[in-house]
Amino acid sequence: MTDAVLELGHEPQPVDQPLLVVEGLKKYFPIKKGILVNRTVDHVKAVDDVSFEIYPSETLGLVGESGSGKSTTGYCVLQLLKPTDGSVRFLGQDLTKMNQGDLRRMRREMQIVFQDPYASLNPRMTVGDIVAEPLLVHDIGDRRLRRRSVERLLEVVGFNPDFINRYPHEFSGGQRQRIGIARALALNPRLIVCDEPVSALDVSIQAQILNLLKDLQGEFGLAYLFIAHDLAVVRTMSDRIAVMNRGKIVETGPAEDVYSNPQDEYTKALLAAVPVPDPRKMRARRAERRKHRAVLAEPI
Amino acid sequence: MALLEVEDLRTLFKVREGEVHAVDGVSFSVERGKTLGIVGESGCGKSVTALSIMGLVPVPGRATGSVVFDGKQLVGRKQRELENIRGRDIGMIFQDPMTSLNPTLTIGTQITESLRRHLDMTREEARKRAIELLEEVHIPNASGRLADYPHRYSGGMRQRVMIAIAIACNPKLLIADEPTTALDVTVQAGVLDLLSELQSEHGMSMIIITHDMGVVAETADDVIVMYAGQVIEQAATLELFDQPEHPYTEALLAALPQIEGEGVRHGRLNAIPGRPPDLLTPPSGCRFAARCAYAGMDDCAEVAPQLREIRPGHWVRSQHPASERAAQVVGVR
Amino acid sequence: MAVDRRQEFEAALTRTAEARGAEASAGAALVRASLWRDAYYRFIRNRASVIAAIAFVIMLGYVIVTPWVSSEDPYALDFSKAYLSPSWAHPFGTDQFGRDLFVRTALGGRISIEIGFAATIAIMVVGILYGSISGFAGGWIDNGLMRFLDALYGLPYLPFAILTLAIFGTVNFWTMVVALTVASWFTTARVMRGQIITLKENDYVRAAHAVGARWHRILFRHLLPNTLGVIIVFVFLELPGVILGEAFLSFIGLGINPPKASWGSLAQDGYVSYLSHPYIIVVPSIAIAWLILCAFFIADGLRDALDPRTREA
Repeated sequence: MTDAVLELGHEPQPVDQPLLVVEGLKKYFPIKKGILVNRTVDHVKAVDDVSFEIYPSETLGLVGESGSGKSTTGYCVLQLLKPTDGSVRFLGQDLTKMNQGDLRRMRREMQIVFQDPYASLNPRMTVGDIVAEPLLVHDIGDRRLRRRSVERLLEVVGFNPDFINRYPHEFSGGQRQRIGIARALALNPRLIVCDEPVSALDVSIQAQILNLLKDLQGEFGLAYLFIAHDLAVVRTMSDRIAVMNRGKIVETGPAEDVYSNPQDEYTKALLAAVPVPDPRKMRARRAERRKHRAVLAEPI
Repeated sequence: MALLEVEDLRTLFKVREGEVHAVDGVSFSVERGKTLGIVGESGCGKSVTALSIMGLVPVPGRATGSVVFDGKQLVGRKQRELENIRGRDIGMIFQDPMTSLNPTLTIGTQITESLRRHLDMTREEARKRAIELLEEVHIPNASGRLADYPHRYSGGMRQRVMIAIAIACNPKLLIADEPTTALDVTVQAGVLDLLSELQSEHGMSMIIITHDMGVVAETADDVIVMYAGQVIEQAATLELFDQPEHPYTEALLAALPQIEGEGVRHGRLNAIPGRPPDLLTPPSGCRFAARCAYAGMDDCAEVAPQLREIRPGHWVRSQHPASERAAQVVGVR
Repeated sequence: MAVDRRQEFEAALTRTAEARGAEASAGAALVRASLWRDAYYRFIRNRASVIAAIAFVIMLGYVIVTPWVSSEDPYALDFSKAYLSPSWAHPFGTDQFGRDLFVRTALGGRISIEIGFAATIAIMVVGILYGSISGFAGGWIDNGLMRFLDALYGLPYLPFAILTLAIFGTVNFWTMVVALTVASWFTTARVMRGQIITLKENDYVRAAHAVGARWHRILFRHLLPNTLGVIIVFVFLELPGVILGEAFLSFIGLGINPPKASWGSLAQDGYVSYLSHPYIIVVPSIAIAWLILCAFFIADGLRDALDPRTREA
């Protein structure tokens, strides 16, 4: 059974047109109080008026600390969370205004890789089933074709396809992350949201996975929204960078520029705080860091 | 005499499938007032080493070897005696302040509890000391915050409270196991600053355990690098970063994503292929051989290399450390 | 159009896969471990649970096998043999009608256990359905269903069951099962709802959502299978309650009609003569207690064995 006709954007996107345009994105979580009747007393402004663009085959790094709203932004882009306000235009269409059916079809073009390799795979499904699920859900191919696709996908991400019938718990964090990447790749999306994809992995495995993501980007023309808190990791993956703090983007620009010549105080403080494996530099930085303490007064 | 001397520490875990050699012959020493960094990836045995020193290894595990703290042997001591030493002479802080603090007790209670246990104070004295401690770790409005429960504190503040509890009795040694891993980068910097501040004020020694080379670079005077339960390199911090010898240390440093530099975006990282060995049946030869770029050069995959002093104060467990490789190449020419 | 793009992708996949070649050795699996086998070993280590499981099986064996092999007719009235104390010929003695209690207790056990299991299964079905729909739907549906459940919780268990029986008018196997189910499904529903709500937060559920899976796939393929552990434990937790409930109802005279008997009605038979012939009431009571204790210990052991926290190596 061939895949259903997709009326929206088959042709390769012209490179000068943005793939994704996010404008005025807001996600507020209500804080409720009350015993019998819940009143909304206030809101947690997880994402507070965020705007950015992503072009085909490029990586936008979204960097920030915990609570900055970066993961929430990623979920809102994919409509895994319903935005409180703002628009998310993907391939020219506003996702926030789509009906269920169109949105489902649109999901083929945008996928996600999660942070936690242990929680992102259903422990009761085999590796093969997990990677085949996207194909199954969208009725692509028949059983035989799907199996072949799954085997190739696994090979492409560096996972031995012989283990297609094993369960996730039999594999290490790095291998599970590869499975997650294979799943994200299965539908040939144009955009993949990478939500802290290497944060839970050891350094030596991190490098393997980051290299894989780079390779896949070149081989399949993928655009990434790369969300992370590790500045060095973001630097190595991103063309452009947006720095988030408390729900807002405080600085955007080409990666080189933001890192070498940060404009915003928070960005400067952030860069100054990153531990670098160079003892002399670190000790010299301590003085500079003390200067920035005021900016970073911890929220009580 | 060093404050802490660890000699041939081995910790075995008996599991259904056999024995896991989590710590396999680790030796090091910590001088008074100095900081030792123990760095390695998950599963290398660094946390188990810390637990073994404190006598806190969970049940299917047993530690053997020698751990001499301030002249006293700790291995094999009764738990009651160890309890006295822990908290009073050795303080320990863990990775996740969320789970280390009891959510049902106020912060004040948790601090004073430790004080009264080890220092025999009255309630009033303990309370006063608790406020002093909170101020020492830079918690604003200390007296007011004693009555708060842990959930009202942010992650960084909880870690500071943990530190306050750990230094309450003025320990000679503080063991910090991944103290900043669960914290944001900016908060992390603050906690590390605090630790070094406290260290110089109290003349405390510190062991800081981490997987983050940057943290080690910042805080440690000396470093040991652990892999698969063994120490594979040991040196002063500056020396280690300037001239790493062991192929694993080199590879680890090379695999780190760089913040600065040209061509970072489009280059590939120097990934280390493969995975650490299974500690149930560790390889008989060098444990890093399966992933090492230089393993083919000799028999190191069969014969386990010993830890040797390649330069004064710099020890490495490898048949082909960096400086010897360079010499070999020159020699060939 | 879309087909072309898909084919292009497949072609790219093939090319890239071939180019990758040997790097696929990143995939050597860890220990060939099975979650179920791990759980099995953990269960085995729990001595109390193993003893309970064996005792449970012995009870089942007794209940199934005895009526087949015994030569005694459990329904024959023979007043010459009435009220005989336990002996070799009649290990549990005889009742006021001369019927052998060894066999009657076994038969009674069959009824009690059948009712017990049937009601437990029914409770599971109702509880799982109600709880999962509530937990999965969330929002006002969840609110409404839970408030209704809260109201039901207020009703006392046994009077509720009695009321249901009264409405039916007769007491037979099915009405008893329904009555017990109706009065006991609440906890299961609530626990299932909690499970579903917790599991919903897992990334793999979000992943299914991101891929475009519809709600029924998420519920039946992702959520429910991961509640299996909880369900199994709950079966053994509900069983005692149901058996005791049936026993009590029978004891107060609302049980299965004679000459069929369950342990509860056997106990009722023994009530009138317990001062002079205590064994008639003692035997079924011990049988009930035996089963209940076994079920609880098994449930305890299963819960520890299946605890997901200890599952991760």
